[in-house]
Amino acid sequence: MSENREQLAEMADGLFAGLRGGEFDTFQTQIGEAGFGLLLVPESSEGFGGDWGDLATVMRLAGKHALAWPLGEHILAARLLHDAGRHADALTLLAGESSIPWGREAGDVLVERDGQILLVSGEVSAGESPAGEPRDMVAYDWDRAVPLGIEADLFGLIAFLRVCQTAGALDAALELAIEHTGQREQFGRPLSKFQSVQQSIALLAVEAAAANCAAQGAAAALDRFGHGGDARFEIGAAKLRSNIAIKVGAALAHQVHGAIGFTQDYPLHELTRRMMGWRSEGGNDAYWSARLGAQTLEWGGQGLWDQITRRTDPG
Amino acid sequence: MQTFAVHPFEAPENAQSIRSDLRAFLAQHQPDKDPVLRANCWTEFDPAFSQALGAAGYLGMLWPSQYGGHERLPLERYIVLEELLAAGAPVGAHWIADRQTGPLLLRYGTEEQREKYLPGFAAGTMYACIGLSEPGSGSDLASVRSSARKTDAGWVLSGQKVWTTGAHISHAMLALMRSEESSERQSGLSQFLIDLDLPGITIRPIIDMFGTHHFNEVFFDDVLVPHGALVGKEGEGWKQATAELALERSGPERYLSSHALLAAVIDSLGPDASAEVTATIGRLVSEMWTLRQMSMSVAAKLASGVDPVVEASIVKDLGNTFEQEMPLAIQAVLDADLADGSDLSRLLATLLQVSPSFSLRGGTREILRGIIARGLGLR
Ligand SMILES: Cc1cc2nc3c(=O)[nH]c(=O)nc-3n(C[C@H](O)[C@H](O)[C@H](O)COP(=O)(O)OP(=O)(O)OC[C@H]3O[C@@H](n4cnc5c(N)ncnc54)[C@H](O)[C@@H]3O)c2cc1C
Repeated sequence: MSENREQLAEMADGLFAGLRGGEFDTFQTQIGEAGFGLLLVPESSEGFGGDWGDLATVMRLAGKHALAWPLGEHILAARLLHDAGRHADALTLLAGESSIPWGREAGDVLVERDGQILLVSGEVSAGESPAGEPRDMVAYDWDRAVPLGIEADLFGLIAFLRVCQTAGALDAALELAIEHTGQREQFGRPLSKFQSVQQSIALLAVEAAAANCAAQGAAAALDRFGHGGDARFEIGAAKLRSNIAIKVGAALAHQVHGAIGFTQDYPLHELTRRMMGWRSEGGNDAYWSARLGAQTLEWGGQGLWDQITRRTDPG
Repeated sequence: MQTFAVHPFEAPENAQSIRSDLRAFLAQHQPDKDPVLRANCWTEFDPAFSQALGAAGYLGMLWPSQYGGHERLPLERYIVLEELLAAGAPVGAHWIADRQTGPLLLRYGTEEQREKYLPGFAAGTMYACIGLSEPGSGSDLASVRSSARKTDAGWVLSGQKVWTTGAHISHAMLALMRSEESSERQSGLSQFLIDLDLPGITIRPIIDMFGTHHFNEVFFDDVLVPHGALVGKEGEGWKQATAELALERSGPERYLSSHALLAAVIDSLGPDASAEVTATIGRLVSEMWTLRQMSMSVAAKLASGVDPVVEASIVKDLGNTFEQEMPLAIQAVLDADLADGSDLSRLLATLLQVSPSFSLRGGTREILRGIIARGLGLR
């Protein structure tokens, strides 16, 4: 990790840990003051000048700490507005699908319609994600929409955010599993000393590792190809893999926690409930497997390998 | 906590030219044999191919030139391995010498051993095999009983190894032996590099369930090897052998050794495939792509001089699972008659039969997960 990114990670880790269980408005102030909203805005425009790898790092930590705030959507919106020569003042969000996290708090929203990116607002009807967070429908007022004249793959970008958050959430679930099984004794010794429990936790670590590598691979593709949609292959592969990681990993984490993990008092639910929702956001398994499969069949057998390698080789 | 700290893989500037050179080499030298042989390619022995590969400079790539090596960069070698495996090249003959035995000699061997073996390994003309398993020692490798007794004339070896891949075509075996009488478990073990043409050595084929001959049992009946056959320090065999195993856990062979099937299925389907088949291909590609990210991250870490034990075990476990599942997933959605004699059906049938071994060879799934658990501090 570069020194800059390490500092960023340290800052995000501390801030997000401190925000746990707090209020939306406090978050708004603190995250705003820390400058995270401008993570992807170039330094020349008084932003942080971060890249997609930096965003992956921050979103991973947001996932780890179950941050209850639409940070990724806001960071992306600020960047796209900057691309269009504007800047975000109120809480501008980006929507990749019909419902938007904390849509009720948003000033404006960036959406894609008929291939155009529009800045638009509308009437909100409240909804809720499986994690109990606001996730609202907005009836956009298209007549007042402002076309931004930029290109971006909003849906893919939302998928990317979820992959990064999943990576952090699975690592956090793993950490909880290790802590819990080290303390809880049954049959006269800690659960972690039982081989079958160790094997389950090892598998959870494997899934967390897959999600982390997928997130970094997708970030590298975004750094290379930009956010116009050329990184869709990597983003799709990463989203599909992280959906699998959630399926396998969440079940294992709960299994080794026994009943305690199923309570409001214990923090595991903050991770699993969110992850279960993320599996639908930014494209579910059916969506991405159909796309990736079709893309692959178009490339052909040798073409697949050519593409996969060419896309990471320099030059 | 981040158990798998991702390490960026900075592909060398010449990555594309390495690939295109190698593809040209393969177009010229890839034996035009039955395509089915590409199914499980790192066990496929083809000495002529290995020799051509050695002559072209693709073996011993990292070793000093004084031993016939080519002093290339670790990530250049990584790219070569990727290309060979993705193409299903028959790399089995030299595989162990190039991947494990050679590097081990550079780390622990004597000058004499390096001069004797490395040039042949790098030329693709000498091969090695791994003598770890015994009838009573599989997962519990520390229970090795084959013995080495020190005499004035050299070491006298007795006992039996089993499941030794390639012993019948190898020139030497790197064997783990109990060198201290009545020693227990991990202590008192040493590694020996044994020329397999010595008197007293008997190699008997074991035919695998698929009907092919890859592994063997090897008997040592008072075999006298010179003192110079001891590799590294007497009594340090356990430490050295586990380091040797770590060299082979995370390479691209952990997810690419059956790539030929995926490529063949994709080619046979074309863009009009059913939605179900298309989705299965999409999912397999997503897993393969992710494994590549993981394997490259470990390669980059290794190249920077760190030994990522847990990460490497994670890649092997996940890679084995992927490769084991791939033929079954394809079989589940593909309308194939396994008896129709087509290349694709035979490729599929081959992998359905050999893939159960993937989570055994090189350390079983359970043992790997034990290593991961230890790395996580659970034991
Ligand atoms: C294709 C192939 C090639 C091979 N090539 C070589 C070679 O070249 N050289 C060589 O030395 N060996 C080779 N092997 C042997 C391989 O390393 C062993 O098969 C492996 O170490 C397992 O040993 P085993 O077969 O005796 O199984 P066992 O040790 O009898 O184990 C059987 C099962 O029990 C599980 N098990 C055992 N102990 C435990 C435990 N403590 N906790 C949980 N589960 C446990 C194992 O994971 C396994 O699933 C090869 C094997 C195969 C299949």
